[in-house]
Amino acid sequence: MATLRGEQGTVQFDAAGSSNATIVGTRSWSLTITKETLDTSVHGDTFRSFVGSMVSGSGTVELVYDPDATGQAGFLEDVVTTADPADATFELFTTGTTTGTDSVSFAGIITDMEITSTVGELVIVSCSFVTSGTITSNLE
Amino acid sequence: MAVVNRNTIRAVVESRLATELANSPVLPVVFHNISYAPTPNSSWVQCLTSFGSGEYLTQGLLSNASNRIVGVAVMNIFTPQGVGVGANFTIAKRIRDLYNRLIVSGVYFDAPIGPEVVSASPEGYFQTQVRVTFEFIEEL
Repeated sequence: MATLRGEQGTVQFDAAGSSNATIVGTRSWSLTITKETLDTSVHGDTFRSFVGSMVSGSGTVELVYDPDATGQAGFLEDVVTTADPADATFELFTTGTTTGTDSVSFAGIITDMEITSTVGELVIVSCSFVTSGTITSNLE
Repeated sequence: MAVVNRNTIRAVVESRLATELANSPVLPVVFHNISYAPTPNSSWVQCLTSFGSGEYLTQGLLSNASNRIVGVAVMNIFTPQGVGVGANFTIAKRIRDLYNRLIVSGVYFDAPIGPEVVSASPEGYFQTQVRVTFEFIEEL
């Protein structure tokens, strides 16, 4: 058995989609993958039946803001990319940083960025994203 | 940056106090685990620095990660009995001004608590207490 804790995780990102690099200062990430369903029930059926359809994902990445931390600026400022072609690539690791291992990777768009500055607390950035195209899961 | 030495943080806290109280009017200052025999009817300060629980701040285990270290400096201010609180509060102001909302060498000092009148220990003095909580972000 090998349970994991959140501090083992990492987020890698590249706004141009060419070479993912670790974002320093991530506090958490979440990902929800949703598969739509199509109702295939026909006349005479007494129980509904479905087939799976389009798969999509969305999630959040939370950062402890540090203007000098590697990768943070490129990540949180991607939200202001206009006419975003969804060329940014993400890889969310549950543990380690080995590409394609214990991770989920995808291209996506950052849809929301919130930065919060409160007296006596750390400045926190929260970004939301949606996936675009194939989601590759390596959560084996 | 590596794991921070707690003595480095302690030195930031205590050296500021020692330097200030070496200025006129000079006051004796005593730190943790140092024996001291106060002169009757004199004024003096005891500074007790200690650390609390650590906290994960970011993901990444031992690389590209950070922890929050918290602590408190308790300053006990002793002045002669039977002459009012003014002299005591004057010393308290000197101490508060050393830390009040300052960031020194990466140590974030919060707004000080006190001076709070407490039962004198050792007896024979008028005692107040100023407490300053602080935190340090340890980058691994």
